[in-house]
Amino acid sequence: MAIVEARGLTKVYGTGTTTVTALDHVDLAVQPGEFVAVMGPSGCGKSTLLNLLGGLDTPSEGTIEIDGEPVADMNDDQLTMLRRRRFGFVFQFFNLIPVLNATENAALPLTLDGVSAAEARTRAEEWLRKVGLEDRMRNRPDQLSGGQQQRVAVARALVTNPALLLADEPTGNLDSRSSDEIAALLKQASEDWGRAILMVTHDIRLAAHAHRIVFMQDGRIVDDAKINGAEDARKAVEKVGLL
Amino acid sequence: MNIAVTLAWRYLWGRKLRTALTTLAVVFGVSVLFGMGALIPTMSETFTKVLFASAGQVDLSVTNASGSTFDSSIAEQVAGVEGVKAATPVLLRPVGMPKTSPVSSIQVAGIEPRTAEKVRHYAVGQGVMLSPGDRGVVLLGKSLATQANLRVGGYFDIPSINGTKRYRVIGILGSASPPGTQEAFLTLADAQQLFGEGNRASEVDATFVNGVDRTLVEARVRRELGSDYNVGGIAPGSELLSSLKMAEFIFNMFGVFALAMGGFIILNTFRTVVAERRHDIGMLRAVGARRRTILGIFLVESLLQGILGTALGLLAGAGMAMGLIAALNPLYKRLVNMTVGAPQFQLSSLTLAIVMGIGVTVLGALSPALAASRITPLEALRPQVGEVEDRQRGRRAWIGVGILVFSAMGLVSGNASALGLGSVGVLVGLVLVAPELVGPISNAFAWLIDAVFRSEGEIARSNMQRQPSRAATTAAAVMISLAIIISLLGVMSSIVGGFLDYVDKSVAGADFIMLPTNLLLAGGNVGASNELVTDIRNTPGVNAVATLRIAKTQVDGSPAQVIGLDPVEYPKVATFEFSGDGQTSDIGKLAHGRGLIANGLFAAQNGLKVGQRVKVTTVNGEKTFSIIAIGSDYLNAKLATVYISQERLKEDFGTESNALVLANLSPGADAPQVKRQLATLVADYPQLTLYDTTSFKETQKVTMSQVMIGMYGLVVVLAIPTLLALLNNLAMSVIARTREIGMLRALGSTRRQVRRMVMAEALFLASVGVTFGVISGIVLSYAMVAATNNVGWKIPFYFPTGGVIAAVIAGFGFSLLAAVIPSRSAAKLDIVAALHYE
Ligand SMILES: Nc1ncnc2c1ncn2[C@@H]1O[C@H](COP(=O)(O)OP(=O)(O)O)[C@@H](O)[C@H]1O
Ligand SMILES: [Mg+2]
Repeated sequence: MAIVEARGLTKVYGTGTTTVTALDHVDLAVQPGEFVAVMGPSGCGKSTLLNLLGGLDTPSEGTIEIDGEPVADMNDDQLTMLRRRRFGFVFQFFNLIPVLNATENAALPLTLDGVSAAEARTRAEEWLRKVGLEDRMRNRPDQLSGGQQQRVAVARALVTNPALLLADEPTGNLDSRSSDEIAALLKQASEDWGRAILMVTHDIRLAAHAHRIVFMQDGRIVDDAKINGAEDARKAVEKVGLL
Repeated sequence: MNIAVTLAWRYLWGRKLRTALTTLAVVFGVSVLFGMGALIPTMSETFTKVLFASAGQVDLSVTNASGSTFDSSIAEQVAGVEGVKAATPVLLRPVGMPKTSPVSSIQVAGIEPRTAEKVRHYAVGQGVMLSPGDRGVVLLGKSLATQANLRVGGYFDIPSINGTKRYRVIGILGSASPPGTQEAFLTLADAQQLFGEGNRASEVDATFVNGVDRTLVEARVRRELGSDYNVGGIAPGSELLSSLKMAEFIFNMFGVFALAMGGFIILNTFRTVVAERRHDIGMLRAVGARRRTILGIFLVESLLQGILGTALGLLAGAGMAMGLIAALNPLYKRLVNMTVGAPQFQLSSLTLAIVMGIGVTVLGALSPALAASRITPLEALRPQVGEVEDRQRGRRAWIGVGILVFSAMGLVSGNASALGLGSVGVLVGLVLVAPELVGPISNAFAWLIDAVFRSEGEIARSNMQRQPSRAATTAAAVMISLAIIISLLGVMSSIVGGFLDYVDKSVAGADFIMLPTNLLLAGGNVGASNELVTDIRNTPGVNAVATLRIAKTQVDGSPAQVIGLDPVEYPKVATFEFSGDGQTSDIGKLAHGRGLIANGLFAAQNGLKVGQRVKVTTVNGEKTFSIIAIGSDYLNAKLATVYISQERLKEDFGTESNALVLANLSPGADAPQVKRQLATLVADYPQLTLYDTTSFKETQKVTMSQVMIGMYGLVVVLAIPTLLALLNNLAMSVIARTREIGMLRALGSTRRQVRRMVMAEALFLASVGVTFGVISGIVLSYAMVAATNNVGWKIPFYFPTGGVIAAVIAGFGFSLLAAVIPSRSAAKLDIVAALHYE
């Protein structure tokens, strides 16, 4: 069974004459352990798709099932619980709470879930070590570089052992060295730790680690290519004509 | 620790300045509530203690239901009741002492030596106790003897209705008197003569046989005496006590008002805080925080601030109470000759302060916290910053307009409750329309502020207009403060104006007035006998003399003072201010039958009409009087008063002494000459002070201007919450725009320009608040004056020019003052740090 499955997913913003159809009858499923990259020009609806699948927003039309359960039947608290336990999020901006240190930020989903403080800290520290931040665990976000902040965000996203990691342009705001570090981390999350990943990116080097690239344009999926390695990725991109 | 608590604490700690400012608003309100809540009851308790100190060992006390004196033979009746061991009559009176005396007032107790010691123990330290049949001798309390530096064998002068009387000291009590009391004991016969009280007493004290059922004996006494007498507790009828009650109420109101302003400030702060943290909140929601958790963070944050502010406020309040007692004690001692002890902090005022302090803080944060809990996780992803303005604003403004229209109708209707509702409505309505008017009003002031601040003014104005809701909340806080200032000063200037008018009218006819020296003890003052009045009347050059005599009563159960005047002589000397169809000839009608004139205040309070019949409690039981007219002399306009003839007063209340004397010159008489002669006559009556009408008016004007100065002082205190509201808003405005300020500095703005920008914003904020405050202040003061007239206390409306000026100065002055810290911190911002500020 797919972790998430969307059918006929449509999202219309605005009312009256000034409506924007950000997403137009999209079908998409992410299987356990699968690494899916979403690519497409700016404004084509990638973030909208990711937000809907992650239960952050509600569709105008169409259905989403998470673990086979229709999202439409869930209330806010149930959706919150799903986000807390089944998903991990990494965003482009504003990822961390400024008044909490790296460990506290990484432990946040556990703390929110009522896990004891000691256990939450141990598990957060374990993940911070895995993302290479063992010497930055007590630092607050303003004392970390952008790449380090994003690694804390990845640790936070993985700390609950979620079924699916959702990442919206996780390297969009980083220099190329930091981007490579994040790319390596995501690859590891998929291969070593077996997480399913749905990731929006413009970066072909990042997309090259995926099993599948979904191409979007004007709110529709225009291509869905299985890939294996950088060469496949490059070909798929060329075929759609994105480069 | 719970995540909500951790986050709340970290956020508070991370913004120390803002936390401090917001907390300060709570501290101020709580300290006023708590400090005054402790101070004033302490003062009134001291007073009560002193008043009733002699009641200590007494099992039962009997007073007349009218509050007046009564036949002392009642004591024998009480003594005859089964279970009563002994009963003794007492004639108790505070007496104002002449200015030359070392004490300002004493308490004279006339006691019956035959029975007094069976009821109360008199520990005579030096000399001897009073004996039956003693005349012209006095037993002094220890503290009075010390203060007046008197020994046994010395002489002590006490003002009497027949001039000052000299008594020989035969004994001095050994045990210390209750703090602040200056007791002098005379034989009952001497005291009755001193006060012109015939054979009357003011109370009968009794002790019970050991081991009897007290309630049973009390009930027997009550049955024996009937409903004309109060048995048991001593009802405090003191005017000072009631004015302390009033002060307590006023300070409580002020505390509540200050806290309400605190609530506004908290609301404003939390709104900004929520806007600032939209991303954090959205992120928390995305990683699995429930709405409740978000709500919890903000409520815990406000709770922490509430607890901190309340705790500091309690400390400050306690300090304030102790400081004020230390500062006021000399004054209090001079006025009523008492020393107030350490403040007693009562559980009720502690509870009130805590509940209000924490409650207001949490309540103020509630609506922003709810708004925060509705923020969607998507907010974390949107890069846009800044507050999202309320979409309901337009609708609210229209509701505000509606309320304003209705309020205006209420204000012109003249109906008392419509007036009250209308004035509250004006405030509420203005608060609702305020956000819409922030732009236009600040634009209207733009030419003025721009003239001084040029380019900074323009940026400041658009900065403020960007956040109309926040500006409006601040303006509303300023408005309410200023409205109260203006209306208070407005009512005061109307009262003062009306008062001086009254003085003019009331004593218009009289050329001389002899007033009780110690107005504070009006109820207990020793009057003057008719001998003095006859002497005055026979003074060459005096044409007519009128007097007022005072007793206490209840009319249909409501306490009032009853004034006796001469229906023939009074109109020759002075006039009345009548309401309705009343006219001077109505005073003449008091001469026949049982008729009375009620003053406007009393008539309005009790809904009395001309022609109505009322039951008046006299010394001889209840009597029915009919109301002839509604009207008042000037001195008693502010006190619940009924007027009857002096004949009636003598018959029904036994009072014959004169509390106040008015005299008129014959045409062509030599005024200074007459005044000198009158002064010689009055010299022996230090309880009376002689004024000619002109100097009397002068005295009144001076007193009034002192009152006004006091009011302006109060205004400064009232404006403190305004200062806090402005300070808070400006500080938040600077914090919220840290990055922008950094950018302005990077683009080449000087520190001075940044500082002036914040100053200009402060002035714009003030311009909105002051405009609203002035409008609502004028409306409120009009409504308050109209309402005062409605309750029967007639004062004309004087435009509160002084109040408006004070409010404008306070508003703009405080805005600049409030801008000092934020403008400095804005100017001092480190450019690089500011640009990276999030
Ligand atoms: N909250 C919103 N309100 C209105 N339009 C929106 C909103 N969010 C996104 N859009 C519009 O929907 C379209 C898709 O946006 P988005 O999913 O963010 O694109 P992408 O992430 O692919 O760049 C764009 O045209 C965007 O302007
Ligand atoms: Mg996007």
